[in-house]
Amino acid sequence: MGMLLEPKMILTVFLMGTIVYITYLSKKNATASDFFVGGRSFGWFTNGSAIGGDYLSAATFLGIAGLTFQLGYDGAYYAFCFSIGLTLLAIFVAGPLRRFGAFTVADFLGYRFHSRRARLAAVVVVLSISGFYAAPQLLGAAQILSMFFGTSYEFGIIFTCIVMIFYVGIGGMKGTTINQALELWIRLGAFVLMLIAAMYSGLHYDKILYAINSFSGPITGTSPYALDGSNIQFDGEAWTGTGFYFPTFWQTISMTIGLALGTIGLPHILLRFYTNPSAKAARKSALMAIGIASVFFLLAVYLGVVGRAIFLAGTASEEVMRDLVIGGNNMVIPSTAQALGGEWLLGLVIAGAFAAVFSNLSGLFITSSGALAHDLYAEFIKKDITQRERVIAGKVAILILGVLYGGLGLLVKDASIGHLVALAFTVAASTFTPIFILGIWWRRMTEKGAIAGLVIGLGVSMLLIFFPSVMPEFLQFKIPGIITVPVGFLSVIIVSLLDRQVPADVNDFMKKVHAKGSETV
Amino acid sequence: MADNKNDYDYVAHGTVDFKDLPPLDSETNEIMHDELRTGVSLTVFYFIMIFSIPVLNWYFPAIAFKPIWGGMTVTWFITSIVMMAMAFIIAYIHTKLYEKRLAKYDHD
Repeated sequence: MGMLLEPKMILTVFLMGTIVYITYLSKKNATASDFFVGGRSFGWFTNGSAIGGDYLSAATFLGIAGLTFQLGYDGAYYAFCFSIGLTLLAIFVAGPLRRFGAFTVADFLGYRFHSRRARLAAVVVVLSISGFYAAPQLLGAAQILSMFFGTSYEFGIIFTCIVMIFYVGIGGMKGTTINQALELWIRLGAFVLMLIAAMYSGLHYDKILYAINSFSGPITGTSPYALDGSNIQFDGEAWTGTGFYFPTFWQTISMTIGLALGTIGLPHILLRFYTNPSAKAARKSALMAIGIASVFFLLAVYLGVVGRAIFLAGTASEEVMRDLVIGGNNMVIPSTAQALGGEWLLGLVIAGAFAAVFSNLSGLFITSSGALAHDLYAEFIKKDITQRERVIAGKVAILILGVLYGGLGLLVKDASIGHLVALAFTVAASTFTPIFILGIWWRRMTEKGAIAGLVIGLGVSMLLIFFPSVMPEFLQFKIPGIITVPVGFLSVIIVSLLDRQVPADVNDFMKKVHAKGSETV
Repeated sequence: MADNKNDYDYVAHGTVDFKDLPPLDSETNEIMHDELRTGVSLTVFYFIMIFSIPVLNWYFPAIAFKPIWGGMTVTWFITSIVMMAMAFIIAYIHTKLYEKRLAKYDHD
């Protein structure tokens, strides 16, 4: 009974209740347009918030501050790399993609090249990227449930998948978008309250960075939880310097390329631009999402520094000190919230963490369900499918994905959330990013070029991620974007130039996505 | 959209050798060039700023890690504050220029 009245339980149940209510209100999905793109009815504010909700996953909400806490400057650099991609997407892809205005990411290839093979290749890549992205989100959800509610890892995975099947299966894109927008503001609200509490406590950015930089030696109060039983050593000067995580200049550049260009190729982010009523609204949505993400990353890095300052001071409660020593990176935001604002702020952060998981996973579920139901089933299996059958197929796909992603989640129990997400970005940057940029701006791109780009980009990414030792040591990278992204672009360009057979209606396509008078499609 | 069909279902279509493809109409061509010129200019500027940070960190550490405000170093300030604002500023300039072009096209 006691646990039921704790703030973390009250706020989490309140969040769940809100999701159920919104999902119930959004359950009417008569057509494929309703189910997959929310009837293209969302204005820039709602969609911008939903893009922010989709983009700022649990890995971001908990991970960026955690990485800053652990790696210092290199953690802040990680956040900076994540902040670049949405801007590039807004510049090159957002507007034209909305003018194109389809239902799924694979529609772009199917329509641009009138090609079933290109569509099929795109489906494989969508499912690969979404799998890479969904597994760490489920891992995060199971860890949060385990840390704060004492459930087992397996229960956490199954529970989250069931919530997702209900949430996305009933609400479709309408319910998903409204929930994502709401969940974004819960997370941002939690961060703003933490900022106010930190400022109120006198933890000013310049002051705490100075204190951290000047610190060298053992951290008081950490010995009971350290493996060797002695206080943990810390070097503040090294922490504020670079080289902690990416030990060379080229490792840093490779990560920058992989993360900066990855956003353009993330299927669940691309899909969001189909839900605006016009290209103008799509661009404004992107701008709004960039503003939100910039504030979010700035606050996340600052809160990671605050967490480190509290930890070094050694004045926090025993519970907070213990969690910061043994809880890992994902505990930094919850522990800092608890130290700054007690149980209620901790409760809000936990609800925010769930909001982050649900928001991001729902985007992945709806995107992948489109790939299975709309691109695979309706295009290859049942070609005379009705609108109602498309919606039903979408719901069945969500059930299948729940089982698939659940299985993946169980497999990655000991993996690093942040690293898996970074790898998903690299795969996206090496596959869909070249396809969308060149497909929108280069008339010479051919069907064979597109397929080559997807297949080679995916293959090389997987090879260098899972078997980096195939390369000489100086070409082995933690995030291999410096190799895989140019390979993806060059594959498209070289094969297209050799092939030369462009779609006969490519000029009509360019007119559709670029010309004036096509602001609303 | 027809009842059971959507605009993006597969429709067979031929291909043509690129050398036989007629040029784009001048209006679309001009719009694409305007868009691309703006986008590429902003992106080049943005990437110069982005890559200048690791260059600064690795090759000019005395400047990069010099404190400027309490314990905040030059590179910390640029990476975690200036560049966050820059992501928005670049996108804002792009959106404003796009809206200006849109107004011009509408006027024309």
